[in-house]
Amino acid sequence: MLQISAWTKPPRRAINPPDMSRSEPISPLTAAIAPGLATLRMQGGEGPLADGTECAAGVVVHADPALGLAGHFTSPAGRLLELSARISGRGDWVGLHVTLDLPDLAGLGWVGLACRSAAPEDVMVRPCLRSGTQDGFADHFFAKHILSGPDAMAHLDALDLAAMPDLPRTAPWRELVLFLPRTDFTWHLHDLRVFAA
Amino acid sequence: MKITLAIPTRDDTAGLIRLLARAAGRACVAAAVVVDDGSQVPLEPEALAAASGFDPARLTLLRNDAAQGPGPARNRALAHVQTDHLLFADADDLVTPELDFLCADLAGRTFDFCLFQHHDSRAGQEKRRGQMDWDHRFWEAAGVAAGALVSIDPQQAAQLVQTANYPWNKLYRTQFLRAHDIACSEIPLHEDVELHWRSFLRAETILTSDRLCAVHFVAHKGGRMTNRRGPERLQIFGPLTRIAEEIAATGADHLALPFARFALGLTAWIGQNIAPAHRPRLAELTRSFARGHIPDEIRARLAAQDPALVAEVFAEF
Repeated sequence: MLQISAWTKPPRRAINPPDMSRSEPISPLTAAIAPGLATLRMQGGEGPLADGTECAAGVVVHADPALGLAGHFTSPAGRLLELSARISGRGDWVGLHVTLDLPDLAGLGWVGLACRSAAPEDVMVRPCLRSGTQDGFADHFFAKHILSGPDAMAHLDALDLAAMPDLPRTAPWRELVLFLPRTDFTWHLHDLRVFAA
Repeated sequence: MKITLAIPTRDDTAGLIRLLARAAGRACVAAAVVVDDGSQVPLEPEALAAASGFDPARLTLLRNDAAQGPGPARNRALAHVQTDHLLFADADDLVTPELDFLCADLAGRTFDFCLFQHHDSRAGQEKRRGQMDWDHRFWEAAGVAAGALVSIDPQQAAQLVQTANYPWNKLYRTQFLRAHDIACSEIPLHEDVELHWRSFLRAETILTSDRLCAVHFVAHKGGRMTNRRGPERLQIFGPLTRIAEEIAATGADHLALPFARFALGLTAWIGQNIAPAHRPRLAELTRSFARGHIPDEIRARLAAQDPALVAEVFAEF
């Protein structure tokens, strides 16, 4: 079953969300796989950005401490997240980590993501499925980078599990990691859905 | 955050019903003030409410028995707004679900107006969604083409003030307009120029949003007001002069060059669209305005940026 829903949450502060096409909650499938996204949609939030910033439970920005990550995040109504990052040092990685509650993948064929994003200045983001292992973790990158620019753009990609025998079918934990630029950036994630089929 | 829609309308019942029907579904719309500007068949509030589904208790319908134009009609609607914020809407346009999200983001924020993006029907004919390129480039130049809610500085405002002077793409703080006596010009055409420029001149806090909160429909082959070619277009020099004087008086230097470009561009456009019999008078008024209100330094900078425009306007001087 592959299900990508166009549903989004209602405005957080609206009293009577009126437009049902936009006021239904995030699709049950995505909410089950990535509950942090549903939480972020519902509760919103904003605050300073640094290594370890938890935008919502299960949605965390991690960065190489050497980068000196600073900045600000906000979750606008009807959207997921806007990150405005300032990088003061040199380091190797910064990423948005979304905790996934994926089932045993043995019976599945695909793990995918769909998103809509934008950025005042062009930004390239590289998504990957991170699986916990006995030794640490294994990363499996999606084939396509997410390109974000001033005009909001949709992005769709999926991992073909049949072609990835090294991807652990079971794992104690998994994350979707969206690797972000290691220089100053502003990135707007309007929507993100994760699916498994 | 709750808003009032202030809507002038004349002989466009179908469009108004369509707009009110959409507005009825918006949680942020607390009220609508409609000014029937001399429609041949006067509007009836009960019929409007019934046809649109808009709550009649939140609908105020006023009437000008003789049409006075959209400017005076908007001003009359503004006088009856009771919410802290309002949106001017044209009867043939639409508000979108994004308006609810924008108002949710604006709740608790202090601002004078929030400029938002829109969808233009001409873009739809090009199979794309959003504003026309000539507007959108100013958003890009200001660095705010993306962003749910951004507070802009004067230099960014100097870019965005050059977008088309629409009244319906700004969520206003009601008291901002009243405190600064900002309103539409009471002239038949180009009535929204003064509202647009004086808003940018007087605002202390301007926010922008990339949300497409309105859909603007442009009549095919320039219908409606665009077709008027009479001397009423010459009344624009009153607002242009007042804005130029206010820019000079307030020392808003960052707006001087954009305004000169706008004013000369507008007069050049009028020259192409007004009846030939009125062109000598237009040239005379343009010459007088340029001499009196465009300083040499601004003219020189404008000539460097847009030599064709300056050559066209100043050629006869």
